[in-house]
Parts: sequence; structure tokens; C-alpha cells
Amino acid sequence: MRVALFIPCFIDQLFPNVGIAMATVLRRLQVDVYYPPDQTCCGQPAFNTGYWDEARALARRYVEIFADADAVVSPSGSCTAMVRNFYPELLGKPTQATTHTYEFSEFLVKHLGVTDVGARFPQRVTYHDSCHALRELRLQDEPRQLLRHVQGLELVEMDQAETCCGFGGTFSVKFPMISYAMDEVKVSSIQNTGARYVVSTDSSCLMQIDGYLRRLNLPIKTISLAEVLAST
Amino acid sequence: MTTPTLLQFERDATVKAADLRHRAVIQKNIGTYNIAVANGRTRFADWQNARSHAAAIKWETINHLDRYLEQFEQNVLTNGGHVFWAETAADAREHVLQLARRHGVQKVVKSKSMTTEEIHLNEALEAAGIHSIETDLGEYICQIRGERPYHIVTPVMHLTKADIAQTFQEKLGAPLTDSAEELAMIARAKLRHEFMTADMGITGGNFAIADTGMIALTENEGNARLSFSLPRVHVAIIGIEKLIPRLEDLALLWPLLAASGTGQALTAYNSLIGGPRQEREADGPQEFHVILLDNGRTRLLADGEQRDALHCIRCGACLNACPVYSNIGGHAYGTTYQGPIGSVITPHLPDAQEWSHLPYASSLCGACTEVCPVRIDLHHHLLHNRRNAIQRRFDGPIQRFLFRAWFWAMQSPVRYAVAAKLGNIALRRGLAHLLLKPWTAKREFPTPPKQSFRDYWRQHERRA
Amino acid sequence: MNVARDNILRRVHAALSAEALRPVAPTSAPVFPPITDPEARFRAEFVALRGEIIENAATLRAFVNGFAKIATDGSELTNKIIGEPNAGVRECDLGVTGCDYLVAQTGSIIVSTLSAGGRALSVLPPTHLVIAQHEQMVGDLASATALLRKRYDKHWPSALSVITGPSRTADIEKILVMGAHGPKRLALYFAD
Repeated sequence: MRVALFIPCFIDQLFPNVGIAMATVLRRLQVDVYYPPDQTCCGQPAFNTGYWDEARALARRYVEIFADADAVVSPSGSCTAMVRNFYPELLGKPTQATTHTYEFSEFLVKHLGVTDVGARFPQRVTYHDSCHALRELRLQDEPRQLLRHVQGLELVEMDQAETCCGFGGTFSVKFPMISYAMDEVKVSSIQNTGARYVVSTDSSCLMQIDGYLRRLNLPIKTISLAEVLAST
Repeated sequence: MTTPTLLQFERDATVKAADLRHRAVIQKNIGTYNIAVANGRTRFADWQNARSHAAAIKWETINHLDRYLEQFEQNVLTNGGHVFWAETAADAREHVLQLARRHGVQKVVKSKSMTTEEIHLNEALEAAGIHSIETDLGEYICQIRGERPYHIVTPVMHLTKADIAQTFQEKLGAPLTDSAEELAMIARAKLRHEFMTADMGITGGNFAIADTGMIALTENEGNARLSFSLPRVHVAIIGIEKLIPRLEDLALLWPLLAASGTGQALTAYNSLIGGPRQEREADGPQEFHVILLDNGRTRLLADGEQRDALHCIRCGACLNACPVYSNIGGHAYGTTYQGPIGSVITPHLPDAQEWSHLPYASSLCGACTEVCPVRIDLHHHLLHNRRNAIQRRFDGPIQRFLFRAWFWAMQSPVRYAVAAKLGNIALRRGLAHLLLKPWTAKREFPTPPKQSFRDYWRQHERRA
Repeated sequence: MNVARDNILRRVHAALSAEALRPVAPTSAPVFPPITDPEARFRAEFVALRGEIIENAATLRAFVNGFAKIATDGSELTNKIIGEPNAGVRECDLGVTGCDYLVAQTGSIIVSTLSAGGRALSVLPPTHLVIAQHEQMVGDLASATALLRKRYDKHWPSALSVITGPSRTADIEKILVMGAHGPKRLALYFAD
């Protein structure tokens, strides 16, 4: 099985370690991965803002680039949801590439049947459900299963795990006051767990949460699920 | 496009989002609601299946609406009632005034109705010298405070006992009290007199039953029942989308509305009105009038993609689930219908451009769609509205240019890499200050690493 | 000639020429869990709503004696159990009526203008007493609506109400207060 890596544009540029961590874990599990270098962006920013013609053109690009992959795996719930749930609406029908694109934790648990990747991360950790992963991809259990099998990791649930962090793409800069209030509520929920780390499948959420934590100098760190799973 | 409405929204949202006391009250109420609703749902053997049943009933009705409207009208007329078709809010208001004049109405008692809010009925009645009194406790409090109701189901969610006691003291001369019960009894006593002396009762309707020609009214207090029982004329104003095919459909829809609205098995009173007082009956109004209101609903109906927004049973669940709503509250929206459903339907009104920002004031988290008891695809409709706004060129030239430029870069890996490199340098040198201001005003923005993923992969894979 | 009516119906008809997606189809599984013991279920629901069940004739006597001004629906059953009214609906402190059905699923009492002496008598008085018979008990709302249709389909009364507990409001800080506008107390007595 040839697995293509789909590394979203903002992870490529801002959080490359997340992509590297995902590739590392997949290779550790003997998965044959490759990275099509022509990929750029799934088009979600255009789609979410209402520029559907532009998003459609980028969707066609994606489908071409990943046409030969048996599976496409991405460390992003929101980009995966874009491809799997919204590309069919844009393109008029699903294709091989759109049906076979998976978020990383979903791929591990549901397709490789793996919940223990041999990771070690001895920290108290809480998990934030990204809205796209939770509601578009229906992933709630899978990331938690993976975390529970990480050596030394203590997983505590926060009160408002399922409540949106307030990122929402351009929403975070179009309506920053609302975005910030939502961020504040999320961080408060995180603080109440006593966790030192907050984990998510989505680095966009983590960027939003981290932005608040760093500005207020709080002793909590954000880390992607991929990076936790790559830790030994 | 920056409209005055958008600027007002931004101002109000900014104030409310930073108001921690306001946030605490709303979130406490929503917390209580969530517990009640979780409990209420357990009364259903399968909540998801119940939603599907309800969605099917509304789909059937809305997609054959002409047939059901005609059937409903026929039955109302047969049972001695009157039906008036109002194309616009103005038509509806004018008809109510005509009826009031014809019957020498000086005092009206009203039960809670978003539809009457939508058409600004009270202002029209007051302007005509007719005293119109809101009788739902929360609405009554809003009325005497001169505020619009805050939330579809709990109009004074944002007020504390102290706020209300203060209002009653100022406006009614009532003694200050800390007891919710005493406050409610003050209102009860005052309004009892109004019910008994009013000339006309005006209600909305939660459902309109086609096969029996009845209006169904859901409430907990009893003020709607008093409004349609005591005055000599009863007027019910309903949007044309309120139709349902059969009486039996209420066996599902009544419990569903109660569970999603308040977490109850049923609200205290679910009433059916089919006509004026009959000869064999002891009391009741002499005349019964139904006003069927369009006011833009046929426009939404014509949009096959978003038609299911007309399935809404006005339960308020989407507002309670929405993290935007729980942080800015209802008033900030500036519209009659707030929260997710409001942001879906308001852009379909005539002044769409003025409200085109509402679908964007959402992180698209999807919690609303998850809770909607009639399965309206709410957050996806926000996306559809955003697409419509761009198609209608409601975006400003700057945004359009930025997206065109971004798109041009994304279409080629080389252009992407160049643009990304430039962006990287700009960010690392702190040159993107102004662009990032909306973010960095209150949050840190990450410093991009020197090496991107693709650079790393190219470097390491070539070696491998 | 009704221009508005024609316009609206024409617009509706034209609007529907565009198709709308059908939602997820429901299954045929029952929407509500089955009710095995309606009497017990009704009692539990009714009491949880703060409804008061008057257990026997002696308790009824005591209950009624607590009210000075009593209005009734004047029905045969009410006259037999309570006697003649001594007040009108507007001045009474107790209103006594019959009912159509009792619904176990929700602890509800269904009244109509014909079974409860009009519209106001079951909502205006501060206390409402319902005289019922066990045969009026039904399991769920679906059965109730079917029976109502059978009873009234030839000639519906102008108003019906499904009463589920006394009047209430939680508008003030979500604090539950009974007797917002309708009766503060709802009592039920089985005549058989």
C-alpha cells in the first residue's frame, strides 16, 4: 500500500515538525510513505470565505496530484474534512482521492488497526476535540485510544473538550473579539484539568490556544497528537 | 464590505465578548439547560431516529406547502374562523390594525411570538393608540424595560433577580424583593387584570395543522391560553412555514420541541385552537382570525439548497449550543432571529447585503447542526450563504484582490514556495505587523521555523 | 378575488419547482419506549410535575373545604362528586372540571371546551381540580391523538389543551416558580 502524505500549507510553513512526526510514526509502523511535492493547499481558506470557484480549482489539483495513492494521510482534521466531505460537493462527485483521504489518528486506528504505536510521553495531558475532527469526521474515540496507549501519559478530560476553541480560519481575524473570548473559555477549561499539555489532531486549534497561553505566560504547552505519538 | 450594520455588530460583539459578568450569566443558564436537555432526550427510545422522523414530517410539509396551506385555510373557514394572507410585514400589521379598529379595540394582550417581533407589531399598535401588553413573564419584563427579547425561549436570560426587582420597583412601584416567586406573583397580579379587561388577544402559533385547521400553541405559563380565552377577538399570526400535515404529528413534535427547548417531557400547556366560540361552548372569543405571513419566506422556499431552514420549530437549541452566542449574547446580532438559525435565514431578507457579515461571524464548529431536532444543515448553510455573498460581490475589492493573489500562488508549487519564502522572511523579520494586528492584539503568533516541511523532506529524502 | 392569497400560493408553487434534498430517512423503530404500566407511569409523572392526587373521598372533602369560592363545569359527574358551584370562573379560588383523557407518557390531562366547561375554567382559577375516571387513562400521546380524532372528528370543539402539571415559569434566572398565570395547583381525583 502506497500512502501519500498530505501536509497542509500552514503545517508545511509553520509547524513542519508535525508533518515530520507523522511520517516518522508511519515509517515506524512499516508504512510505505511518499510526499508528492506538487501539493500546495486544499483550498479551505477560499472555500470557507465563499470563493468556491477558486476552491474548486484547487480541489481538482489535489485530486490529480493524489490520484495514484492508495491512501492519503494528513495531520489535520480540518483539511481532511475539506477533502472528504466538501470536495464531493465542489466537484459534483467523490473520487478515489477524496474517499481515501484520512486524518492521521483515523488512519492509524481504523485502517491500520493500531492503537499502540510504541510511544512514550510521561506527562499529564488533556485532549481538545477539533470541531472538524469531531463533527465532520466523527473522530472522538480514536485519538483518545491512541493517547491511552502512550507510555506514562496521564489523560485527563477537560470540561468543555467539545467546545470550539474559536479559531475557525479567517473568523479568528475577522471577528477577533469573539474568537478571543472563545479562546479564553477554552483555556480556562484546560487550566481546570491541571494538565501541562493540551493535545489535538489539529494544529490550527493548537495555534489559537497557544497564542493565548504564550501571551499570558501560562505554564501549559500545546502539542500535536502526531508529535506525542512520535515521542519515545 | 463594511456596512454600518457590520460596524454596529463589531462594536456590540466587542463589548459583550469582554463582559465577563454577562458571559458568566449566559454560560450558567446554558449549563442548566444542557443538563435538562440531556435528561429530556432520554425519554426517547432513539433521539437520532426521532430527529429523522421530525425532519421527514417537515420536509413533507414544506415541499408540498401550497397543498397544505390550502387545506389548512379550508378547514379554518369551515370551522368559522377567518384567514388573511399577508405578503409583507406591513400587510400583516395593517390587517391587525383594521381588525382592532373594526372591533373598537383599546387594549391587547399578547403571548410570546417571534413572528410578531419580526413584523414590529407592538410599535404599530402603540402608534395607533392601542395599548398592547406582553403577557409572557420574560417578554413583559422586556417590554417594561424597553428592550427586545434576548433569546428565542428565555427572553431575559441576561438579567438577574436584582435587575428584575429593580425594574419592577421603578416601573410598577413594587417593593424590592430577592424572591423569584414574589417577583413572578407581582407580574401575575398585574397581568391578571389586563387579561380580564383586554379587547383582543394576539398570539403566534408553534404549528398550524392542515387536516384540522387548528393552531397549536406551546407554553408553560398559561398566558397564551388566557389570551385566546378571555378577550372577545383572537388573532393568531403565523409564518407560512409553521404548517404540519396532521394532528397526529404533534405526538412527536410536541415532545421534541419541549425536549430541545427546555428539557421537559412537555411544556405545561399545549393547546389547539380551531375557531371562535361555538354555540354549545361556555366561553371563548366571538371571532378567530389567522394571519398567514410570507415576508420573505417564499424567497427562502425557492432556494432548494437552504429550504430546510424553514423546518425550524423555534426551539432555541442552536442558540444554546453556539459558542459565539454564549459569548456575545442575543442583542449583538441586531436581528429578530438570532444565533445560528438567524444567521442562516437573515441573509435571505431583502437587505441581504446589510446582514452578509452574519454567516461569517461563526467558526463553523457545527454544534448547531448537531443539536437541531429537525436536522437543519445549519453550519453548512452558513457556508452556502458565504458563497452566495461572494457570488453577489458583497466582498470588498481589497479582500477580493487578496484572495485572487493567494489563489494564483496556490496553483503552482513554485509560486507557492516563493510566496511562502517571502512570507517566512517577512514574519521572521516582524514585517507583517499590520496584517497580523487582528491576531496579535491579544494573542502571540508563532514564529515560522527556517525550514519548511517540504524543504526538510527534499533534503532528507534526497540523502535517503 | 384575493390578490395576496394568489400571489403567495403562486410564489410557493413556483418555489417548489426546485428540488430539495431529502433528510436521512427514519427507521420504523418506535420513537418512544413502551409503557408497561400506564397507571404507575401516570402517577409518577404527575407527582413529579407537582400535580396532587387526591386519594379518596375523605381527602377530597377536606381539599374542597379549603376553598370558599368554587366554580365548576356543571357536568353530571362534577355535580355528583362536588355539588353545585357557588362562584363564577372569574372570582373563584377553585375551578373543578372533567377531562377527555389522561396520558401516562407525560402525566398529562387533556381537556376541551366540552369536557371542561369552556376555555377559561381550566386555566384562570388559582387552583384547578380535575375529576377523572380510570377508563380515561391512555398510554401515550399517539393513542391520545387517535382517540381525540375518533371522539371529535365530526365536530371538533374550538379549543383543547394538553395540561402537563401546574402553570410554571423559569424566566427569572432559571428558578422554577409555580403559578405564573395559570393555576398554581393542579389536583386530580378519580371518581371510580
